[in-house]
Amino acid sequence: MNTTCTYRGNREDLLVASLYGDVDPSDRAAFEEHIAACAACRRELDELGVVRARLGHWTPPEPARAFASAPAPPVGRRGVWAALGAIPAWAQVAAALLCAGVAAGVANLDVKYDRNGLSVRTGWSAPARGGAPAAASQVPVAAQHETPWRADLAALERQLRTEMRAFPAQATADAARRDLADGETLRRVRALIDQSERKQQKELALRIAEVATDVRAQRVADLRNIDRNLNVIQSNTGVDMLRLYRMTNDLAVRVSQTK
Amino acid sequence: MTSTDEELVARSIRGDPESFNELILRWERPIYALAYRTIGREEDARDVCQETFLRAFRALPGFRGQAKFSSWLYRIALNLCRDWIRRERRTPIVETPADVDMIELAEAAEPSESIEDLIARKDLVRAVERVMARLPEEQRTAIVLKEYHGLTFQEIADLVGCPLSTVKTRLYQGLTVVRREMAKGGLGS
Repeated sequence: MNTTCTYRGNREDLLVASLYGDVDPSDRAAFEEHIAACAACRRELDELGVVRARLGHWTPPEPARAFASAPAPPVGRRGVWAALGAIPAWAQVAAALLCAGVAAGVANLDVKYDRNGLSVRTGWSAPARGGAPAAASQVPVAAQHETPWRADLAALERQLRTEMRAFPAQATADAARRDLADGETLRRVRALIDQSERKQQKELALRIAEVATDVRAQRVADLRNIDRNLNVIQSNTGVDMLRLYRMTNDLAVRVSQTK
Repeated sequence: MTSTDEELVARSIRGDPESFNELILRWERPIYALAYRTIGREEDARDVCQETFLRAFRALPGFRGQAKFSSWLYRIALNLCRDWIRRERRTPIVETPADVDMIELAEAAEPSESIEDLIARKDLVRAVERVMARLPEEQRTAIVLKEYHGLTFQEIADLVGCPLSTVKTRLYQGLTVVRREMAKGGLGS
């Protein structure tokens, strides 16, 4: 191709530089003048431009990135909160009441409502009572009469303590079992989804391949038909031409004979 | 404001891991693309990409900024690709996974593109891959760096360590081979 080119400089370098729009300014004017006059160089530049366009279609596949899943929360914390969440509401209310009762008991809370109005004070801050030790020993009995809910509260406390002692172990075990079951279920679901996706992809690929094969087969068949028809047309045209030629020839003979 | 590569490199050298992560995010795709186009295998291209950043990270304290960070990375990646080609003792093979190829093809379809156009486009890409895989390594590298990474002739010359005119000659010869091979395969102009 470059046999017809008469450029005296480094033609290949300049063609490439021109192709990428990076011709040295000192060479530019002379080479542009040459290009304007040289059909071979223009054609080669055009063809290399087409090659560049073809190369532009080549895109590498997406790099597979590490699949980042949200980190699972720490097991210990999750277990505690899961266990708390699993406690029934009534038990939580009872526990709160128990805490309040225990706190009141520990603080030796004394609540009175008399002519002086409502007064609340702890036993630790109660003024020293006057009188004999015998009188002092009678106070709890009197207090029990005054606050009948203390016995009920104590019973409730005992019951709750018993239940609470048994509950955490069971709740933790349940939570662990549930975690395991959840994890297993999630794994199975993911496996099923993956399996289903793979199957769908294969089916889709198969369909597309079938369609592509059909299209190609149809195209080949069409091309053959067109080719055959063209041959028939050419053959017919040839016969007609021959007939026409003979007729013309006969006519010419007759004309010459009549002369 | 986006930091320049040089700023990120400086911060990485001072021990800021986030800056190096930023550099990886910025250059991972070009380096992977370079590796893939040079050696033609997805898995190995990923390995080369990872190894490039690993080596860069290790050698970062010694990076004095004589060249651009990207040029430095490209050089590491090209050396690794060259090692890979020598180790494997074969020309790069562009793999086209048989089972997912058509899916990717379907996903890549333009809305107005017919199946026939789609297949033609995919055939064209495969043809380009095949022709590029058959090119001598120097010519392929020159084309990849120029065509897909937009490096200047001088940058390529510095990167591969050859004179400027050699880069242009390699490009011309490589493109001419590609043109000829495509014409043979009916994909000429």
